[in-house]
Amino acid sequence: MKKKYALFPGCLMPTEQYGYEISLREALPVLGVELVDVEGFSCCGEPMKSVNQLMTLYLSARNLAIAEKHHLDLFVPCAMCHMALSECIYVLESNPAMKERMNGMLAAEGLTYTGKQHLVHTVDLLYDHIGLETIKQHVKHPLKGLKLAAHYGCHLIRPSEIGRPVNSENPQKIEEILKALGADPVTEYPQKLDCCGAPLLANLPESALTKTGQKLQAIQEQGIQGLVDVCPWCHKMFDSRQTKAGETVAAKLHVPVFYLTQLLGLALGVKKEKLGLELNLSPVDTISFEEAV
Amino acid sequence: MTIVDLTSMGEPQSDQQKEIRNRLRSLQDQISEYCYQCAKCTSGCEAHKLLELEPHKIVALLKRGLINELVNSDVIWTCMTCLKCRERCPQKVAPVEILFALKNMAVASGKQIPGKYTAMLQSILTMGLIQDIQQITTRINTTVKREDLGLPALVKPTDPAKFQAGIMKIAMEKV
Repeated sequence: MKKKYALFPGCLMPTEQYGYEISLREALPVLGVELVDVEGFSCCGEPMKSVNQLMTLYLSARNLAIAEKHHLDLFVPCAMCHMALSECIYVLESNPAMKERMNGMLAAEGLTYTGKQHLVHTVDLLYDHIGLETIKQHVKHPLKGLKLAAHYGCHLIRPSEIGRPVNSENPQKIEEILKALGADPVTEYPQKLDCCGAPLLANLPESALTKTGQKLQAIQEQGIQGLVDVCPWCHKMFDSRQTKAGETVAAKLHVPVFYLTQLLGLALGVKKEKLGLELNLSPVDTISFEEAV
Repeated sequence: MTIVDLTSMGEPQSDQQKEIRNRLRSLQDQISEYCYQCAKCTSGCEAHKLLELEPHKIVALLKRGLINELVNSDVIWTCMTCLKCRERCPQKVAPVEILFALKNMAVASGKQIPGKYTAMLQSILTMGLIQDIQQITTRINTTVKREDLGLPALVKPTDPAKFQAGIMKIAMEKV
């Protein structure tokens, strides 16, 4: 059965983390997912939470109301956006006065939030909605026992109080998906739940990169072949900024970092050049994949 | 109305200050009472090892009413919003939420916003997103933009004036 979603791009993926967008647009349709581009979405609001929490809530409510207008559930590939929208639903459902206040504001753009829309992220879309069996059936080029580590991203796994797509203390869905693709992921490593550092980029960029460097260094020392992430913020840190992150911990880092959707695409037989792999700045070409036909 | 009015004028935002002060008061009266200083939040805190943030002490200071001191402290801006404190607190205190309220208060009371927050807010007001399309360098040293990769047009608010008016209103709205 076809699964249809409005693609909620957020800010970072469509303005610089193109590899995530390209790969998910190529790989997901192979598994029967239809993504609809909807006009009018803005920032989810989460980056403004330190400045003005009410603005965060308004921006999230506005985006949810746009999806509602189109009668579409949302596919939200960014962990931070997914958390912001989930929290908005949680807050507005438990606070009718705030819901009314938001709707008063939204009326100016002809929008209404009633809270009918469902959200999915890349991980639960693959694991819970498409399912491992279907994924296995579509694998053409298994990832040949690659020893990979998963990074979930703080906003994807916490706070469980508002409902998150994976377990907060022992998430395993990415590992299960990687196994279905033929890889041999490590299910545990000591730094698994450590933050990528990205939320500090706005005001303490050096500290943000130190956080990134520490995690990557630990991964490198454990002989893990590559890191897999599912959030444009995390990927910006681990991949795009890896060299700089290495400088903060005085290490030469060379950890290949992939978006899960890039590996999914490779395994499903999507051509390499259609997955944006040349956009990864980490040495992803040190891993040889069975070439897709 | 400009970004300066939104972010660095104390007076016009007195309504907002009042709202945030009420939020902090209820956090102080109703939430911080639950904290028994087990420091489970600090033991997991991502900012603790690197930047010496101690969430349990933030809660203790709030409990004693030292709101102005906290608002004026740089330490509130070291939180990485990893949310471990909210997840793990046995008493559901959620220091991360206290920190958000304190940072909001710092902004509303006219203290300068650190780092790139002002630029991000300006960009949201102008185009709806924290940044416009970036030209990026590939691993083989070529430069590409969104349009070079065959991706569809960037999604953003269709009526920027209305969108901006909404943001302005929410930022200045009376309680």
